[in-house]
This record gives sequence, structure tokens and C-alpha cells, in this order.
Amino acid sequence: MTATAEITSVTAEPTADDPSAAAQTWDEFRRNPLGLIPLAVLAALALIAVFAPLLAHYPGGYGSAVLQPPSAAHWFGTDNLGRDIFAEVVYGTRVSMLVAVCSSALAIALGVLLGVLGAYFRRIDNVIGTVVDLCLSLPVLPLTILVAALAGPSLRTIILIIAFFSWPEVARVVRSQALAVVNLPYVDAARVIGGRHSWILRRHLLPAVAPVIVVSIVLTASRAVLSEAGLAFLGLGDPNSWSWGRVLYEAQQSGAMSSAWWTTLFPSLAILLLVVAATLIAIAYNDARNPRTRQRV
Amino acid sequence: MPPLAAFILKRLGRAVLTMWFAITVTFLLLRLLPGDPAVAVASTNMDAGMRHQLLKEYGLTQPLFTQYVKYLDQLLHGNLGQSFTQSQPVSSVLMARLPWTLLLTGSALVLTVLVGVPLGVIAATHAGAAMDRLVQTAGVVGQSLFVPSVGIFLLFFLGLRLKLLPIGGAYDENAYGAGWYLSVLQHLALPCLSLVLVSLGSYVLTMRATLIDSLGEEYCLLARSKGVSERTVVWRHALRNALLPTTTLLGLQLGFLVGGAVLTETIFAYPGVGRAIYEAVTQLDYPVLQGSFVLLAGTVVLANMLTDLAYGLLDARVRTA
Amino acid sequence: MPILRTTVSLLAAATLAVTVAACAPSKKQSNSNASGNDATLTIASTTDVVNLNPLLGNSRTDDWVTDLMYPRLLTINADGSKQPYLAKEWGYTNGGMTGYFVLRSDFKWSDGTPVTAKDVAYTLNTIKTQNPKGGVVNGFMTNMVKATAVSDTRVEISMKRPDSILVPEVGFWTVIVPAEQFGQHNPVDQFTNSSNWLSAGPYKLTSIVKGQSYTLTRVTPYPMAPGGTPTVSKVVYKIYPDVNTEILALEKGDVDVIANALPPAQVAVLQKQSGITLEKVPGLGFTHMTYNMKRKPLDNVLVRQALAHAVDYNAIRNVAVQGQAISANSSPITPSLAKYADPSWKEYTYDPTLSKQLLQQAGVHNLKLNMIYSMQDPVIAAWATIVKDDAAKAGITINLQGMDRNTYLAKTTSGDYDIYAGSFAIMDEPVSNMALQYLPDGAINYSQVNDPKLTSLIEQAQGTTDQSKIKSLVQQAATYVRDNVIDNIMYVQNLYVAHSSKWTNFTIKPSELLSIVDPQSLANVKKSG
Repeated sequence: MTATAEITSVTAEPTADDPSAAAQTWDEFRRNPLGLIPLAVLAALALIAVFAPLLAHYPGGYGSAVLQPPSAAHWFGTDNLGRDIFAEVVYGTRVSMLVAVCSSALAIALGVLLGVLGAYFRRIDNVIGTVVDLCLSLPVLPLTILVAALAGPSLRTIILIIAFFSWPEVARVVRSQALAVVNLPYVDAARVIGGRHSWILRRHLLPAVAPVIVVSIVLTASRAVLSEAGLAFLGLGDPNSWSWGRVLYEAQQSGAMSSAWWTTLFPSLAILLLVVAATLIAIAYNDARNPRTRQRV
Repeated sequence: MPPLAAFILKRLGRAVLTMWFAITVTFLLLRLLPGDPAVAVASTNMDAGMRHQLLKEYGLTQPLFTQYVKYLDQLLHGNLGQSFTQSQPVSSVLMARLPWTLLLTGSALVLTVLVGVPLGVIAATHAGAAMDRLVQTAGVVGQSLFVPSVGIFLLFFLGLRLKLLPIGGAYDENAYGAGWYLSVLQHLALPCLSLVLVSLGSYVLTMRATLIDSLGEEYCLLARSKGVSERTVVWRHALRNALLPTTTLLGLQLGFLVGGAVLTETIFAYPGVGRAIYEAVTQLDYPVLQGSFVLLAGTVVLANMLTDLAYGLLDARVRTA
Repeated sequence: MPILRTTVSLLAAATLAVTVAACAPSKKQSNSNASGNDATLTIASTTDVVNLNPLLGNSRTDDWVTDLMYPRLLTINADGSKQPYLAKEWGYTNGGMTGYFVLRSDFKWSDGTPVTAKDVAYTLNTIKTQNPKGGVVNGFMTNMVKATAVSDTRVEISMKRPDSILVPEVGFWTVIVPAEQFGQHNPVDQFTNSSNWLSAGPYKLTSIVKGQSYTLTRVTPYPMAPGGTPTVSKVVYKIYPDVNTEILALEKGDVDVIANALPPAQVAVLQKQSGITLEKVPGLGFTHMTYNMKRKPLDNVLVRQALAHAVDYNAIRNVAVQGQAISANSSPITPSLAKYADPSWKEYTYDPTLSKQLLQQAGVHNLKLNMIYSMQDPVIAAWATIVKDDAAKAGITINLQGMDRNTYLAKTTSGDYDIYAGSFAIMDEPVSNMALQYLPDGAINYSQVNDPKLTSLIEQAQGTTDQSKIKSLVQQAATYVRDNVIDNIMYVQNLYVAHSSKWTNFTIKPSELLSIVDPQSLANVKKSG
């Protein structure tokens, strides 16, 4: 459970036709250190992911220095097979961010589609709304474990599973935002004039929903990182790729968590860093576009 | 139909639908995903005839739809089936674990509310100031923690180094009488703390956001202009409205916690339902899995009904809608 | 005030939940037996008990708990030799066509009735006729017809043909259950044995908290303890799903023993800790990989040899097992079996270049194989990546498939794999083991081998009781297996278990099944201070 819920309390604004609103939001965002710093951190992590090969060798094979504490040779120490944990965390950035981005992209796509369609076409709204509510009441973690265990561990499965369980939340939030807009006079006017549905959706609804989408992407992605780590920790992750969850899993399996603090600390910090940065950005962005929480008030 | 009755009827209908949905989704997932239920029931090096006989007894040889109907029928008679691996009724397997889950999640939720409300108020009333930023950041950090790491950390420092609390388990087997209750509390402390650290974050953030909104609403402005003290405005007026969405969040969290405490229960060796589900998954024990999802769905439904009731108590508008 | 009301109702709901939970089983005063010290021994395990019917196969902890209640006919020493336990004599008569066990008369069930040949006969016959799910003993009973209780202390087994492995293997692997109690359930698979336990000692279950703990209290008389009384009044098995928490609990003193083998990397760490003693449990089994000979191109000996030379065995032993393993010299008869081992056997060399040559000779290119292993075995899971990386150097692609135990077992039995990785805990009787592993219909023929020459060697060894002939035949068979890579035996792992230094006088027996939690060990341990 994250702070997605608080988004529903923000009123909709027809930002579509107001180009300076975006500039205003960015202005406000810039002023907030709790927004800028996390943004820089996120950018740094993305750079690490992209330039991983420049930073470390791909962790593989084995080494003779098993479970060594951090040293000059191994900044983050070594794991139970003597592999360099710094390299594992660096390459883990790639996998974890890949999982986060892909699963949230899928979840957003599906969630936005259904959320907007439901708000716009009142006939199917009931059905969509009920489906979303039902999906939201499913016990996520147990089902995730169930599917991951049965479908077999692989990156593709993990991404699909996380996306599958994230889209209802997105749909709910997008739908309520879209509903607020759909009822506004200018949208009705557009319909009366005879504007094509796709035009209305593209021109009015999507831009109005855009801020919510931005926040959703960030939050879903960060949650995906935690989900992936949790699944990997339980042994349901992909054993062929390095993710932060896998580093933790190896630490757990070899009993290293009880004696070698570096095997747990660094991947956990990495996860914490990414998730905190993403969430703070989302909050700062939200505060920036909501007149009530702007500094000036 | 009087509005209250309609309200309750609608809620009941939704509850039934939710349960049916959860049961069906689980059933389908188990049957359609790869993974052979038969391996848990009958060892494959068994005589083929005997194996088929066993599978027949467990109803695994029939077409999907027949199995589904039979299962629903079974459920309606209150029979959750027989565990594949433990030769025991599913209900006794789950009921043995349920009290601990309730204890853990119940206490975690109570603490979350007791600590979260004041923190949310502090943050909201100091919106934009340093105190607010601090609480916000703490809340965000809290909900971004990876539970197993936190768990091991707590066990290492509070359990091993400082020897303040026991490491793992729900109680001490050698304790009895009043000492037993004390040992239960001692064993509950760390897992509960872990859960609270993680769920506090989102609770505080939601409380803060909704309070900020409420405080800006007209009725608060009105109250202030009438000369009502700020404290009363916050605690009596704004908070009451802010409690609405946060109560919904609590309901969601309860449903999440009951099944989602797997990681906590694993690390702290706490014998709850979450861990039982994980073990059933790794053993491909389908009846226990299905039964536990029925249980979880039931808990979520119950939690939602309770929060809706609380909502109804708090907000007269909902009842008459 | 509404806020108050909400808070109160929330608190009320939560308190209700708390109270409900608190009304869970109330404690009774523990009543210890008259004499002996009142100490409780707490043992930690990572796997929960799945079922308490010892005739069904399942988790380790099941066996540890039931072994404290149901006796074996024979036990085993650290050197692998079978020793008397419930049976004081055993062997064959009647030209090898009848096996027999002579029982001690001083074992009693906890309801006072003696353990007799009737219980033994019942147990053996039930296993033979019903083949309970997951049990392993049935695999040894191919040549058994029926077991009969000839007297209260003598059991005779009529056989189809002479079989040198039947008596010692059945004697060790079977756990004897009370005929009266178990006999009431037909099929015996359905008997959950979840209450009203009868125990022949040294301990008997008294309470169960599923997922948390299993409490056993001492039972007298138990012939294998000093004065017939086990030295500890209570044994508690506590479940810790995470090995890290388990280790922390031992370090703190919340538990006294960790029964499951320690992860190799933690052995050195714990050895340095004061207050904790490590015991080395000699390995009597081995860890191996098999190549499915029913699949092309694994049916080609050159390909199998190529695979065998593409593994860095030293690295695996030194890194993954932290030096806690010895080479098996690539033979199914490992150095642990001093009586049968041939010192001239040498391990396959790690030589990727040779592998490439062999593959070329065989005319195989771009070899892609999948390898299955159980995720419940962290040591194998750890070196699986090493095997994969090493094979890549020889141009072989291995796709690792770690899976849950049940799926792993299913795929294993159905032969659905290219490479299988696993381990056996006790492989002390070469004739018996080879029969199970290398005969075409052997219960653990994971190589899927059907080789007439090998079959003939093994069957000859089975059909004779001449020890020198047996030795020669099994050595020939082992050489054949090694040279043709019918089985790739990688190492024999020495396991380490840990316990608090406050406890002493553990008896060490081989394999994780027995180690220091064997009934004889637990009936004799002492607590100092």
C-alpha cells in the first residue's frame, strides 16, 4: 500500500488548454528540494543502469575471496561465491529498473485504457468499475507467489505478474480523475458538437489525466522493485539474471544475512534509494500542481 | 426500501461477488497454469492404476467445469476440502494458523492508527515546514523498506546484541500461566514493529494529504472565522473527514496484511497464514491454497464491510446516498 | 464524539482479534518424569513437519520427530556399518531364500505393550503391499514375498530369490510402527497420526503447534539410555523457515541445536564463535549429475565425456562447498566406503579444450541442454551457475532450471530432463545402490541407463553372498560407470551441524537424517551448567 490513495483527493484541472500550467508546475517543483534531490538520484540510478559495463565487470563465475567485508578491492564486499557485490548491485540496477519500467508501462497502458474508457463510455463503466474493484480486493502477494511458483521463474513472468496486479490501482485512480473531467461542460459541449470520440479522448481526457498517469507510473514502478525483490527473496525470481532481489536471495540462502552485513545492506539500500526517490518525486510533483499545497498559499 | 437496508443489501451483494471472484480466479489459476497438482497427491513412481485411483478420489481426473462446480458446492456446505500433503482438512490447517495472523495484523493496525493519526496531524498542520518534510520523508522511507532486511536488522540488534527480545516463534514453549501471555507479547514485538514501520508510512501520508484538503475546505474556514480554536478545528472537524479515506485505506491494508505478511512471518518464524500459503505453494497443495484464498477473500470482504460501516457511522451522507 | 467512536470501534475490533488469538492453547504445567534432570533440549529446523505417518515419505523434520518414537531394526555407524538396534541379529537362512531378524525384547510402546515381531511383520508387509506414497523402502523389496512373525522376537521374510541387499537395507531404512494402532487404518496412507501417539522411546510427542513447535517428552523404558531413562526430560523442535534467523537464535541461546546442515559459508563463521560447538557429520552419500541417456546426443559416450571434462570440480568443492567435501574420484563407490573403494580411480580432469575435441569427434555442434535441480538444495543451486559458466567455455549451453521439490521429483521420475543434479544422503551398500541406480528398472535410475554389461555385473553381485566376489564385481561395475560417464559423481560432502557448547555427549551418526539428532544421541546428551 503506497501513497497512491492520496492522489484521489486532488481535484481535476483542465490543464489541457492551459500551457502555462505545466510551466507553473515545473516552477513549483523546482523550488522543492524534496523534489529536486530525488530527481537527481533517479537520474543517477538510470545512468548507472545504462553505463553499467563501464562501472564493473559482469558478476559471474566465482572467486576465492568468499564473504569478504568491504575493502579497496571490493567496495561492497563479496558474496558467498566470492563474487563482487558492487558489480552485482550495479548490474542489478539494470534488471530492477527494467522490471520496474516494463511492468509499470504495461500496467499503465492497461490501466489508463480501461480507466479512461470506463469514465467516457458510461455504459461499460459499471462493468469496468466492478472488475477493477474486484481485482483490487484480490490478495496480491499470495497470488503473485502462486503465479510465480507455477509459471516458473523468469524475468518475463515476473514483469507480467507485477503488471497484472498493478493495473487495477492505476485504472481506479485514472478513472476517478477522468470522471471528474468527463462531466465538465466543455467535454459535453464537444460531444454535442459531434466531435469524434477519439478526438475528445486525445484532446481533452488524456491531457487531463496525464498528471495522474505521471504519478502512477512513478509509484507503480517503485512498487514493482519491491515486489520483484520480495519474490526473488522467496526463491521465485529469475536465477539467470542479476537483480537486487537476487543478491538478497543469495545472501539469505547461504546464511550470509546472519553474519555478513554487507550482503544485505547494499542491495537493500539500493532498493530503498530507488523507491524513496520515485515516491518523493511523485509527491513533490503532486504538491507542485495542486494550488492548495503550493508554497505560496 | 429504506436507505439503510438498501445500503446493507448492496454491500452484501458486493461481498458475495468479491468472494466468488477471488475463488474463481484462484481456481482457474491453479488449473490453467503449468504445474501438475497430481505430483503433490500421488508420487509418480507409484503403480499407474493406484495413482489414477488416488487422482480420482481427489477429483483431479474430471473436466475443469465439473471440478469447479463440485468445489463451489463443497464450499457452500462449509467444506474446504482435504490437504494434499498433510492428510488433514484444510480448515484445521488454516485455523491453526489464523489466530496468530489475526494477532499480528490486528496489533500492527492498532499501532499504525495510534501512531499514524498524531503524525499525520503534525504533518498537515505544519504543511510545507520542516516538520512536515521530516514526517513526509520518514513516511516515504518507511513504506520503501524491504521487510526481510529490516527484520534481520531488528533481530540482530534487539534480539542478539541487546538480548532484549526473543528470536523467532510465537511464544516460549516452557512458559505457562501469566508468563505465557508475556512471552506472546515479547515474541510479537519485533514482527509487529516491522509491519508497523512499513504500513505507517502510507497511513501517515494519506492522513496528511486528506487533512490538508479538509483544512482548506469551507467548513473549516467557517469554523475559524467563528473563532473556534485551531486545535478544535483540526481534531474535531478536519480529522473526522480525513478519517474517511484513511479508514478505507486501513481496510485495504488489513486485507493486504493478512496474506501479505509472508516475508515478515518467514523472517520472524511467526506461524501465520501467510507463511502457510507460501509453503502450500511450494508443495503444490491445491486445497490448502484454494482454502486460504477463500479465507483471505473473506477477510477482505469483512474488512471492507467493517470500514463501510465505520464510514457510514462517520458520514451521514453515505447512508442516505 | 465521532472520532472517538471510530477509534473506539477500531480498537474494539482489534482487541477482539487479539483476545481471540490469545485464547489459543493454554499452557499446562509440564510434568517431568520422576528421576533425571529437568532440562529441555530445543532443536531448530528450517522445514515444518508435513505429516507424522513415518510410512509416508516427506520432510526432514518429519523423520527427525518420528525417529524419536518409532524404532529402526538396524542403525548405522559413522563408517557405514550396520549396527543392531531393535534387531540384535539378522541374516539369511535356507540357502538365502529366507531373511530373518531377531529382536530385542526390552523395547516397549508407551502404552506398556511390548514391541514384537508382529509389529515388524505388519510394517514390512504393509510397505510391500500398499507402497505408501513417498516411501523409499518398497524399492528394496523387489525380491520379498512376505514377512511373518515366527515368534514374539523373530521375523522371517520369504523371498523370491537370494538377495544380499534385502535384509540390511530394509532393516535400516524401515521404521517400525505399532501394528494395533496403524492396522486400524486401511489404506495406511490415510492415517494422519496426529494424536494419541505410541512411542517406543526415547521421546513421545505431547503437543503440536503447527508451523512453530513440536514438543516431545521422555518415555521409559528406553533400552539405549543409561538406566533405561533418557537424559533429557523434554525435546522441542522449533521451526525457523529462514536459516539466518535460525543461526541468530542459536547464537543468542534461544535454541540449543540446529538440526539441519549449516550452509557451508557459515561453518567458518560459527566455528569462531565461543559458546557454539560444531560437529562434523561424515558424508556417506554423494552429490552427482546424471546425463539422460535416453536423449540424443547424450546417448553418445563421447558427449557425456565431454560434459564430464567441462566441470571444474575443485572450484565447486572449494568455493561452493567451502572445502567441506572430498572428491569421489568420479566413482559411485566413494572413498567413504573403505571396504570397496579402489584407490586407482581418478576424477575426471577439468579440461574444456578436451571437451571441445570430444564434441567434434562426436560430430555435435552447439550443444544446448537443460539442467534440473531442486531449489531446496542451496549448495547445488550455488554451483549450478559454476557448471553453467564452465560448460560455456567448452561451447556448451546449459539452461538452469531450479524448481520446487515436488515438480523436481516428478520430472526426475518421468525422465523429463537432459541433466539431473541431486544428492543421496546414504549410499553405503554398493550392491544395493547400484541395483537401484543402474538397473534399467531401478527406482533411482536417473541416468536412464540400460546397459546389458552393467546390468549383468550388478545382477551377479546381487545373486551371491561371497564377499570377495561381490567386491570384485562392484568394483568392475564402478569402473564401468566411471569410464562411460553413466553417472558423474562430483563429491562427498561433509556436513556440519551446530549446537550450544552447554550441551555435550552427542553421538555423531552419518547423514543429515541422523547426525546428532539420532534417538540414541538425544537420549544420552547432557547439559553442563
